[in-house]
Amino acid sequence: MTSSESSPATAGKPASGGAHSPKPIISLEGVELTLPSAAGPVHILRGLDLLVSRGETVSVVGPSGSGKSSMMMIIAGLERASEGTVSVGGTGFAGLDEDSLARFRRDSVGIVFQDFHLVPTMTALENVAIPLEFAGRADAFGRAAECLEAVGLGHRLTHYPGQLSGGEQQRTALARAFGPAPDLLLADEPTGNLDGETGQQIIDLLFDLQAEHGTTLVLITHDPQLASRCARSVKLLDGLIVDDVVNGSGTAKPAAATAL
Amino acid sequence: MTALAHSGGTAAVGGYSRGWPLALRLARRELRGGLKGFRIFLACLTLGVTAIAGVGSVSESMLTGLQRDGRILLGGDMELRLTHVAASAEQLAFLDSRADVSRVAEMRAMARGQGDDARRVLVELRAVDDLYPLFGAAEIDAAEALRGDGLQSLLARRDGNWGAVIDPRLLRRLQVAPGDLVRVGEIDFRITGLLEREPDRTSRAFTLGPTFMVASASLADTGLVQPGSLIQNHYRLRLDPDVTAKTLRADLGETFPEAGWRIRDTTEAAPGIGRFIDRLTLFLTLVGLTALLVGGVGVGNAVRSYLDGKTATIATLKCLGAPGRLIFQVYMAQILALAAVGIVIGLILGAVAPYVAAGLIGDALGWRAELGLYPLPLATAAAFGLLTAITFSLWPLGRARSVAAASLFRDLITPAAAQVTRSTLLGLVVFGGLLAALAIFTAADRRLAVYFVVGAIAALLLFRLAALAIMTLARRLPRPKRPGLRLAVTNLYRPGAPTGSVVMSLGLGLTVLVAIALIEGNLSRQVRQSLPEEAPGFYFIDIQPDQVAAFDALVESFPGVTEVQQMPMLRGRIAAVNGVPPSELDIPSDVQWVFRGDRGLTWMRAPRDIDRITSGAWWPPDYAGAPLVSLHDEVGDALGIGPGDTLAINILGRNVEVTIANLREIDWASLSMNFVMIFSPGLLEQAPQSHIATVKADPETEDSLEIAVTDRFINVSSIRVKEALEQVGDLIGQIAIAVRAIAAVALVAGVLVLAGAVAAGHHRRVYDSVVLKVLGATRRSIAQAFLLEYGLLGLVTAAIASAIGTLAAFLVLTEIMRADFVFLPEAVIVTALLATAITVGFGFVGTWRALGQKAAPLLRNE
Repeated sequence: MTSSESSPATAGKPASGGAHSPKPIISLEGVELTLPSAAGPVHILRGLDLLVSRGETVSVVGPSGSGKSSMMMIIAGLERASEGTVSVGGTGFAGLDEDSLARFRRDSVGIVFQDFHLVPTMTALENVAIPLEFAGRADAFGRAAECLEAVGLGHRLTHYPGQLSGGEQQRTALARAFGPAPDLLLADEPTGNLDGETGQQIIDLLFDLQAEHGTTLVLITHDPQLASRCARSVKLLDGLIVDDVVNGSGTAKPAAATAL
Repeated sequence: MTALAHSGGTAAVGGYSRGWPLALRLARRELRGGLKGFRIFLACLTLGVTAIAGVGSVSESMLTGLQRDGRILLGGDMELRLTHVAASAEQLAFLDSRADVSRVAEMRAMARGQGDDARRVLVELRAVDDLYPLFGAAEIDAAEALRGDGLQSLLARRDGNWGAVIDPRLLRRLQVAPGDLVRVGEIDFRITGLLEREPDRTSRAFTLGPTFMVASASLADTGLVQPGSLIQNHYRLRLDPDVTAKTLRADLGETFPEAGWRIRDTTEAAPGIGRFIDRLTLFLTLVGLTALLVGGVGVGNAVRSYLDGKTATIATLKCLGAPGRLIFQVYMAQILALAAVGIVIGLILGAVAPYVAAGLIGDALGWRAELGLYPLPLATAAAFGLLTAITFSLWPLGRARSVAAASLFRDLITPAAAQVTRSTLLGLVVFGGLLAALAIFTAADRRLAVYFVVGAIAALLLFRLAALAIMTLARRLPRPKRPGLRLAVTNLYRPGAPTGSVVMSLGLGLTVLVAIALIEGNLSRQVRQSLPEEAPGFYFIDIQPDQVAAFDALVESFPGVTEVQQMPMLRGRIAAVNGVPPSELDIPSDVQWVFRGDRGLTWMRAPRDIDRITSGAWWPPDYAGAPLVSLHDEVGDALGIGPGDTLAINILGRNVEVTIANLREIDWASLSMNFVMIFSPGLLEQAPQSHIATVKADPETEDSLEIAVTDRFINVSSIRVKEALEQVGDLIGQIAIAVRAIAAVALVAGVLVLAGAVAAGHHRRVYDSVVLKVLGATRRSIAQAFLLEYGLLGLVTAAIASAIGTLAAFLVLTEIMRADFVFLPEAVIVTALLATAITVGFGFVGTWRALGQKAAPLLRNE
């Protein structure tokens, strides 16, 4: 526990002075993650500083084991930082319990996984409706059906995940992530389990939806071509951010330095 | 061709063998993974086998002990019993020439201490001769001065008083001490010893009073022996070496065809108890079978979930060319190996059971169990266990066998629509049939066992249908607004939902519980609750004909007495029906009791209000012709006889031919004076007889009434109905403990299976809850949804099980026990709520564990 974590009021205050936006949606300061393992504690993240502005598209690249997924888990509130402060959408995570984090995700964050993670015993429609239902929306199923139609699955509403192809499952996951119109979308290798052409369709759909909603996007990927479709690219190596560039301009922009 | 075939054969022998050897090798490799997932399987099977083996072994050891001690319990190699009359000199001479004869006379009498207001207690007066007991020994705690004296010396007359050896319980009830005088009839007996153990106690199935043992010679002095007194004379025989029970029985039948004695040999030493043990064993075995049946569902669940986990292995094996048959053999071999383990554990525990039971029971029943290993019940239990394991494994095994390799890959989520092959169905029919046949042919009462088997199959089908109905209904219901409730309802019919197994396991266990709760509740209710309104407070017996007028005058004028009824009574037994002796008749089991011993008889001019004629007509009040009889309609209906048919009744050692005039309904529960046979006036009017009276009186006047009557009429005995019924109630209470214990076994089996069913879905539940958390569900809403799901399931199952259990209890009570059935809502509701609580409890534990799982590890790509 650091002193800043014990003071949610300070941590919750939006970081000011961002170079390219007045209001960062993601703010990581000195984030470390240490997990126990059989061979002793493993330092997965070793002091991350990152600011992401609203509406930005950021790709996160780096070799396997560099900490990309862990960083995403921390931003989603699925893993707690061992050190440092995390604030997303103006909400400081310190002091929030598991359920408050769940409610926060429900209202503000959509997540897409490489493995889709649909509930196998629910139909496509039900899967998309879950977050809307938890948000208490009366039109949960109507909205879910619209979302599925938007991703081209209007004819697959009552199918179970096991009856859908990989591409269809990921489209369902996209519909589920965009359903509640979140401020932030996190995508962890969304095309990793798909063939080239299907992957391309999913990516096109992802960027279309992002553009349409003006959603902030953090995209983890191994694919340089895919990374280049994002406005900004962050590179992780061994638990540290080693590169942070704005695509197209080619200018290096050490995020933490700029932010502070 | 020949060469090829030959070389193939050699190869098979050489190392690559097909069929079972290969299957066993593969099975052994698979079992390296350990017994994970089979703990419930083992527990279910062990529990069922233990219950059946244990009940069988305990029962065998008790019955063997009973047989071993038969001569002691009976009091002789053979016993002849006569009611009202003593054996004639001719008969005694016949017996003396073939055996040593010991005579024991038994009658009920009132004992009282000294003083006018001393307590009166109904006792079983036993007058024994010098030879008593022929076998075994009476254990007596004699008064200080007499220690070391034999029984006969203790009973002898000293200083003008006969001695008496009595049941120790009498001391407190009579408020006397050893050495005191106790009055029975017209004389005072001195208590010279306490009867710690009567060797032949068990041969009397049911007595109303504690034993008061005196010398035969003293009986005449009491003045209790009067014509028509209800006295039973027992003649116990120690047969001479050249005489066998069988030949003597035949000789007696030939020489004295009308003697009317009831003859028993050592095989029937305690027929009441023996029959009772047989019935109880059958009943407990059926409950044990139910436990095994419930366990069978657990076995099926365990096998299915184990095979679900092996999907990848099976698919891989199939892709590598393993035929379905081999897959079937590989997993059948594993199941058989595990079943063997469970059965052996169950057999060991079952074999130990007699030692535990003997320790608990001691010789409370009058004899000790013969401890030892009883192979037959163990073999039966093993067969039950094996057949159950196979029968319930066949379906999931058949599925695994017939699903194609490719579709197995997709079966992880959507259940394969695989058709089970015809051979699997055939196997199910064969092994299920064997199981049913074993249950029926090992049962003492086949009819009851058939009912059970049919009922069990019906219950299995009903719960299967109920599960389908719940799932269909949940699917059709309009979508609830609250997300928690909606999740709960939809969880009931999702693919892979545990609805089927939970409904089946909980439902079967609960059905047994509800049925047993209702049966037990009804029996004790009939004993206790029917008492206050209808039952008379007293029976007075052995009223002499010349005392009747004085008795009526005394009792009717006694303050607090509300109703007096008295009737003449004799005892007699049916010697023939339309000329055929009962031994040659095919008598339905539910009326056999009528033929088993002496029955009370009476005679009447006009029917009472309670005598409802169902066929035939009553005789005119002044009838004086050939003797007619009014017979209990159940007996008539069971034997297919009615008005016009004849009975021969043996009364006072003489057969009387009577014609049935009518059949009559009897409500035994009313506790009024009821007789299976009521005679027309005439014949019985002249016979020596005594009267019996029922008296209803205010409870506070009961004591003074009893004193007044027994003071005035020393030969009259009083039976307090409440005390007698309490004795019956105690007996039922003791049986109920045994029944509850074994019912608990069925419940434990149900709970185990339930736990297994919940655990089987655990990994899916963890995954669901993690994904739901990612999507923003709070722990509370997830927990609520899961608990609602189990609550709904528990409640619906409880409702169905209550209905089936009630039906079962109704059938058992009305069809088998011939008792009235009353629905007891509280018993059913308590049981049902308990079940729901258990289900929700298990669901809660499972959900709690699922919610405690960290999300991140499950979501990572690696």
